Amino acid sequence: MTAKLVVQGLSHHYPDEYTGVSVHALDDINLEVNDGEFVAIVGPSGCGKTTLLNILAGLLRYREGNATVDGKKIDGPGPDRGVVFQEHAILPWRTVAGNIGHGLELQKIPRQERQDRVAEYIELVGLVGFEDRYPHELSGGMKQRCAVARTLCADPEIMLMDEPFAAVDAQTRITLQEELIRIAIATKKTILFITHAVDEAAFLGDRCFVFSRRPGRLRETVHINIPRAERNWGDIAANPEFVRARDRILALVREEVIADDR
Amino acid sequence: MNALTKFSLLVQGRFGRKRLRRIGLGSIPFIFLLTLWQMNTTFEWLAPVFIPSIGGVIDAIFILQSDCGGVWDILSLDNTCLMTTHILSSIGRVLLAAVIGIPLGIIFGILAGMNRLISTVLEPVGVFANSISGIAWVPLAIVWFGVGWMTTLFIMLNTVFWLMFFNAMLGTRGIAKVYEQSVLTLGGSRWNIFIQVYLPGAMPSIITGMRMSLGFGWRALIAAEMIGGDSGLGFMIFTAAEEFNVEQVFLGVIVISIIYLATDHYLLGPLEKWTIHRWGLTWKPT
Repeated sequence: MTAKLVVQGLSHHYPDEYTGVSVHALDDINLEVNDGEFVAIVGPSGCGKTTLLNILAGLLRYREGNATVDGKKIDGPGPDRGVVFQEHAILPWRTVAGNIGHGLELQKIPRQERQDRVAEYIELVGLVGFEDRYPHELSGGMKQRCAVARTLCADPEIMLMDEPFAAVDAQTRITLQEELIRIAIATKKTILFITHAVDEAAFLGDRCFVFSRRPGRLRETVHINIPRAERNWGDIAANPEFVRARDRILALVREEVIADDR
Repeated sequence: MNALTKFSLLVQGRFGRKRLRRIGLGSIPFIFLLTLWQMNTTFEWLAPVFIPSIGGVIDAIFILQSDCGGVWDILSLDNTCLMTTHILSSIGRVLLAAVIGIPLGIIFGILAGMNRLISTVLEPVGVFANSISGIAWVPLAIVWFGVGWMTTLFIMLNTVFWLMFFNAMLGTRGIAKVYEQSVLTLGGSRWNIFIQVYLPGAMPSIITGMRMSLGFGWRALIAAEMIGGDSGLGFMIFTAAEEFNVEQVFLGVIVISIIYLATDHYLLGPLEKWTIHRWGLTWKPT
């Protein structure tokens, strides 16, 4: 396996929005994500998960350390890294089809090809019949499906997902997680998925990076050796590997949270 | 079914119940005022020199248009068709100011909303310009441009541009950062973000700005025409008042408000429906 994404010695400080005091968000992060791998990142809130994702997306400049995709240094946003954001980031003034095809439009792909590919991804995320609807006419789950399809349709090398299912209700979340596994099987994309939900991380990830509280460090890597085809909520709860991985992640996160409270 | 029921069902089917109700309720104050006006004439509370009769005001239209030779005379703003000439020249000025001032105000407003440096430079001068009401510029504008359309255009641009600027700027600042970030990560440029994120995202504020600038713009125009104009409804009202022709003064005032109502209803209403209502960016009447 080849490493798709490599992060070496990455540290980050930023001035606090109100006090101006320097915040140490990330401390000496070293990690690798392989081609086609699904990696989850878990950590207590304020551990710098989102900071890391913003750096990888190119939305945040970094000075200390290095981050590369396919050997190329990350310097600004680019269509090789697609992002699915926490909130509903699809544009309210574009229809479902308009949002999903947005990346292709920006890449100046001809109309006919664009329409074909948009139709393909609308089918993949189950939004057939909603092509011409505007986001405010969709449910929360449908909005996030649309957001995932928009990112996928631009055909990025890596999908960066920042707690994309945090705002939807529990039932919808379960469906979306199973759909994401199906999409990962179908598209073979490299996915970096940030979450604070331990169950979600153990269910989705091939590996899970557990982060410490601020300043964020990579505390431990938990391997979850379950074939993707077996990842559905009906069976997985009884899978000893899932239980082991989940309990390990939970124990690590608990330690961090408890230490923080003291 | 008698004819009246049939007719009322026909009207309801054509316009819709809710809309009829809205129109009906909205016209109550107008009907009240019209009744009061007619009663004044009937009971002669105030002499016609102060408040003319409804018929007198309608007659004023025919007096002003008496020598009009047809559509061509109307369109060429001939002096024989005084009424339409004044109306058209006022509308023309509003349109000119809108066509120049609205896009410029939107462009600079969005730029100022995007960029701290631009807003730091432009905001103080905007506050300065806004603090001076449109009419206060009239004496100076007459010195600079003389009596005529340049003066009225200057006054209106002063009003329209800054209102559009401030509304577009505030609208742009209120757009969630995540929209911009998402377009950036899809490979969008600054230009793409301007057109695809800031312009539609600021639309609710931009439409409010248009509404305000048309309203204030009209008022500024009428005032400017009174002092520094050589035609237009403001000029018509002012000259009529000098001749104690109250009928024409009343007519001018009524025509102004009808034109404004029509612009709001037939221009801004559909624009709102096609943009912010369709995108769910505003509350909808239920």
